[in-house]
Amino acid sequence: MEEYSVIGKHVPRIDAKEKVMGQAKYAADYSLPDMLWCKVARAPFAHARILNIDTSRAERLPGVKAVVTAKDFGGWTWGFMATTRDEPPLAVDKVRYMYEGVAGVAAIDEETAEEACQLIKVDYEEIPAVFDPEEAMKQGAPVIHSYRPNNVSVEYHWNFGDVEKAFAESYLIREDRFETGKVITGFLEPPASLAYYDPSGYITVWAAKQSPYFHYRHLAGCFNLPLSRVRVIQPFIGGGFGGTKNDSVTGDFCAVMLSKKTGKPVKFVYTMEEVLTTCRRRHNMTIYNKIGMTKEGILTAVHTTAIAQGGAYTAIGPLTMFLTGYGSPVPYKFVNYKYDGLRVFTNNPVSAAMRGHGFTHTRFAIDTQMSMMAEELGIDPVEIKMRNALDNPKRGEVYHAINGFKIKTCGIKEALTKVTEDAIWANRDSMPKQEGPISYGVGLSGTAYHGGARQLGHQSCGAIIRICEDGTVNLLTGATDCGQGSDTVLAMMAAEELGVRYEDISLKRVDSAYTPVDPGSYGSRVTLLAGQATQLAARDAKKQLLEAAAETWKVTPEELEIRNGFMFLKADPEKRMSFQKLSKIACYEGSGAVILGRGHSDYGVEEPLNFANGTGEGGINFSFTAQTVRLGVDMETGKIDVKDFVLAHDGGFRLHPMSWEGQIEGGAVQGLGQAIYEGFIMDKGKTNNSTLLDYKMPRSTDAPGIKVMDVITKDPDGPYGAKEVSEGSHVSAPPAVIDALHAATGIWFKELPVTPEKIVKALKGNGKWMK
Amino acid sequence: MEKIRMSVNGREFELQVKPWATLIDVLREDLGLTGTKEGCGMGECGACTIIMNGETVNACLVLAVEANGKNITTIEGLADGEKLHPIQQSFVEVGGLQCGFCTPGMILSTKALLDQNPNPTDAEIKKGLEGNFCRCTGYTKIIQSVKDAASKLGR
Amino acid sequence: MTLFFRRLPRFNYVAPKSIDETLSILSAEREKARILAGGTDLIPQVKRREVPSPEYVIDLKDIQGLDTITYDAKSGLRIGALATITKVEQSAEVFTHFPILALAASLMASPQVRNRGTFVGNICNGVPSADSAPALLALGASLKVRGPEKERDIPLSQFFIGPRKTVLNPDEIVLEITVPTPSFGSYGTYLKLSPRHSMDLAVVGVAVQGTRAGDICSEVSIALGAVAPTPIRAPMAEAMLRGQRVSQELIDEVAKNAITQCSPIDDHRASAEYRCDMVRVMTRRALTQVLLGGRA
Repeated sequence: MEEYSVIGKHVPRIDAKEKVMGQAKYAADYSLPDMLWCKVARAPFAHARILNIDTSRAERLPGVKAVVTAKDFGGWTWGFMATTRDEPPLAVDKVRYMYEGVAGVAAIDEETAEEACQLIKVDYEEIPAVFDPEEAMKQGAPVIHSYRPNNVSVEYHWNFGDVEKAFAESYLIREDRFETGKVITGFLEPPASLAYYDPSGYITVWAAKQSPYFHYRHLAGCFNLPLSRVRVIQPFIGGGFGGTKNDSVTGDFCAVMLSKKTGKPVKFVYTMEEVLTTCRRRHNMTIYNKIGMTKEGILTAVHTTAIAQGGAYTAIGPLTMFLTGYGSPVPYKFVNYKYDGLRVFTNNPVSAAMRGHGFTHTRFAIDTQMSMMAEELGIDPVEIKMRNALDNPKRGEVYHAINGFKIKTCGIKEALTKVTEDAIWANRDSMPKQEGPISYGVGLSGTAYHGGARQLGHQSCGAIIRICEDGTVNLLTGATDCGQGSDTVLAMMAAEELGVRYEDISLKRVDSAYTPVDPGSYGSRVTLLAGQATQLAARDAKKQLLEAAAETWKVTPEELEIRNGFMFLKADPEKRMSFQKLSKIACYEGSGAVILGRGHSDYGVEEPLNFANGTGEGGINFSFTAQTVRLGVDMETGKIDVKDFVLAHDGGFRLHPMSWEGQIEGGAVQGLGQAIYEGFIMDKGKTNNSTLLDYKMPRSTDAPGIKVMDVITKDPDGPYGAKEVSEGSHVSAPPAVIDALHAATGIWFKELPVTPEKIVKALKGNGKWMK
Repeated sequence: MEKIRMSVNGREFELQVKPWATLIDVLREDLGLTGTKEGCGMGECGACTIIMNGETVNACLVLAVEANGKNITTIEGLADGEKLHPIQQSFVEVGGLQCGFCTPGMILSTKALLDQNPNPTDAEIKKGLEGNFCRCTGYTKIIQSVKDAASKLGR
Repeated sequence: MTLFFRRLPRFNYVAPKSIDETLSILSAEREKARILAGGTDLIPQVKRREVPSPEYVIDLKDIQGLDTITYDAKSGLRIGALATITKVEQSAEVFTHFPILALAASLMASPQVRNRGTFVGNICNGVPSADSAPALLALGASLKVRGPEKERDIPLSQFFIGPRKTVLNPDEIVLEITVPTPSFGSYGTYLKLSPRHSMDLAVVGVAVQGTRAGDICSEVSIALGAVAPTPIRAPMAEAMLRGQRVSQELIDEVAKNAITQCSPIDDHRASAEYRCDMVRVMTRRALTQVLLGGRA
């Protein structure tokens, strides 16, 4: 193991101090003089034609400065792919989901803007709507987008090997139907922005965006401005988790347009209920999964049919349906694989990306089915996973999955060993199984998730290192820390590469006028790709510094090294100078110089993603997670008490232990929410539980004790051997919880969330409830 | 407009406020103290937790006029200049935060908890913080931070 | 046009210095006025525009003497209109003589909400799942209500009419809750069932207060929340038990019977069927705890 000065150390988060002091500013904390407030007026129908919009009364209300509707946007639409730009900032000829935005108002204060919204009169013609994906695909269902007459937004059919032959030769086959829940990211900070459209044709926004550069491209397109005249400044972000803050929202476009119309800065802040009813959710899917096994429990074939609720617009749906099928061939090997993925429009809020994008659905189905089959075959659940799991390739070897991605390190077996040797699993039979009405169970899962996401189009990250003349360092990055800790890790990498202290690095957050462009914070790519860019930029700056020092000392740069804030002669470390002095010399000697290091990530895409046939390399490497869960089920009320989580995560190398653990813990609890607590209750397009009271995310008293163990595999493709650590535990948690529920109740639950009421219903159905 | 007088973080303020303005509006917009965050505006998330006359309350549920004559501590009032309060210090050292949005409210609830119960068990910490929602951390390092703060304050 | 409100609507704020002043404003303004005590129900409701926006918000907190909790053995417990839930939770008198109320208080919402919200406010809000109601019903509480002409005592069992509807007239105000001292040897418990461990409304709430004299259940009251249009007692279930020899079998029967007094609805929190099943489970547990001193 190499000795690092900064990497791997327990240092505080780089932004901890300002956050605990309340000094960190988020989008809603910004104000400008003369600022107006924007409010979005929304339609009370899930599917309706807009016949007429009368904004005259709203415009006449004292204090109202401007009103915008779809016509102000001239028919502009946006979307993830050039062929799916089907979403307008405000509804044009019809609304396609309940509370879709229809108009925006700017007024001198928010109360006035709210009053004005109530004065906008819209004539609607309600039209038939459809809310279930399988219904929406039927003949005669209401058509939501004319360019998809059968309401199928995205459709993939992949075929690898020969599943029919493999099934025919299988000893055991299972076919099951699984349902993943209607859940949402659940960030605490609602979307907000402060926008200013300078009349000279220059936009500045402070926006709550996890991927600011998506937003800057959207604004440039919407307002027909060059990218160089769109400035997105990223404040601190109050949680992202994918989806909404990786995209733009109605309020964003309205605020900028209203600023353009009024010449004043305009601010909007969504309410939490607005978030829970109108913002992006995770796709909920029905997974029809068929698995074949030999008598020894070896996988022969997998056929997955995933029917996803798309909601009213396409958004990032094409990528979601790709990722849903893409990762299935790891961590358990199989070569015969068929995937049919359909994403279907419905008159519901839009489904988009969320942590564990795509993988969460199929890993839940496959892992659970494998456990079911282990039970049927009489094979120990750990044993069956070990028999099918990928081995850790030897250094220099590469495992090629059937659909083209490469695995160079795989710690799944080590992870499974670690969690099953831990007391929670190892002692499960000697611990109490029943205490009064509580039945205990321990469950296990073993999953994978990819990191370093790369897609079509622009995917390179950049970094700029500016050596200040006093030896402190500015790191400019295009990557966004939405809480996951990337700023800290990038600063640590810069310090490590330059040879300075972590405290000497000042990270400059995204300001698209000054920071390099970045594809965005998603798919666990920041540490890997922005990390590589940071390393390269730091090495570039270091090279310039050493060249200047070499001149002064009359040696070659290769004879010099920098560590712990000092530059020294390798052959005679006593001969040294401080980094401060080095910087001064480099900047001031002779005619002076400006030391700027630059770099951009260059992980190529050897195999581009092919959505149609499922091949390609979607990321750089894969993380692997094994998890156990111990929980108790009250067999009379169905209420669940989750006691312990144990996780072993192969994330390559622990760059920042504090963030590593924090991400694993947070991801797992968010996964717990998905498994047993969270789910939108929909009624013809209306969300019945749109408050934090009734959309039930885990509170402190719901949280289990969590133990995190590391599996270090040092991947050759990640900076310092790193792989992702932000999403693996979110994928591992639901199947582990389901397995534990089975151990406690004897029932396999296949529909998430498994609420107490569902448990009681199932117990009653099995004759296992009270007499 | 109603006239109110309140003490915020040790300073006296006299303000004219609208009757329907909430305390969080006035703190953030009139006094520029944006450390108090609005998450849900309905008292369900605890992001807007402040201490008013010694007790934690949700600032989104208090009308500004109700704060007349009260002593208010917001997150900005905890540190002594740049010197962090031991609770803040613990959250920094242990890592009891990620995105930081719940953090001001979480820290003030921690203060109220430890003022009442200087050596809480894990279960007591969880119950004491039940009004503060966090999506990022899974609560593990928050609980560890509170225990660390308890031992710091105990010394 | 639909929108999601972040701000409260415009209203006038009044802070009367006396009950009489309060009553005269209420007489004049009636439904155009709303009483503000803790605000933890009022503010979200008004913000959501779930209720007609008031023209006047009447803050009671300048009136002296409304926030006390007093106890004497003869007249029992008196919880003033402005006594917060935290005050009830932490009151020594409540803990000693009416522990079921302290328990119920500790299960409500969050510390921040308990520090502001009031027990009287929770009752006046009148939701079927109100956590304060079953315990108070089981203890036979009454409300002291003052109107423009007179003061009246309303037994809590007669106070609720339907969801968010009580017998309180727009020109009346609740001054205090009075709770008679339970007889010697009486025990009680409140069990709240919900999916999470905090912050949820009760899916089913069961309060039981009862006394054993030797083997006999000399007194029992069973009150249920969230399973009918109002919080209710279960008189037939009580009658099955009162004066009988206590046994687990009888408790099981009584718990089943309690279901017959419920009329829950299907809503997004739970189905009627689940609520009925849970009435049986939780009533059985509460009765077993109180009368058999153990766990069912």
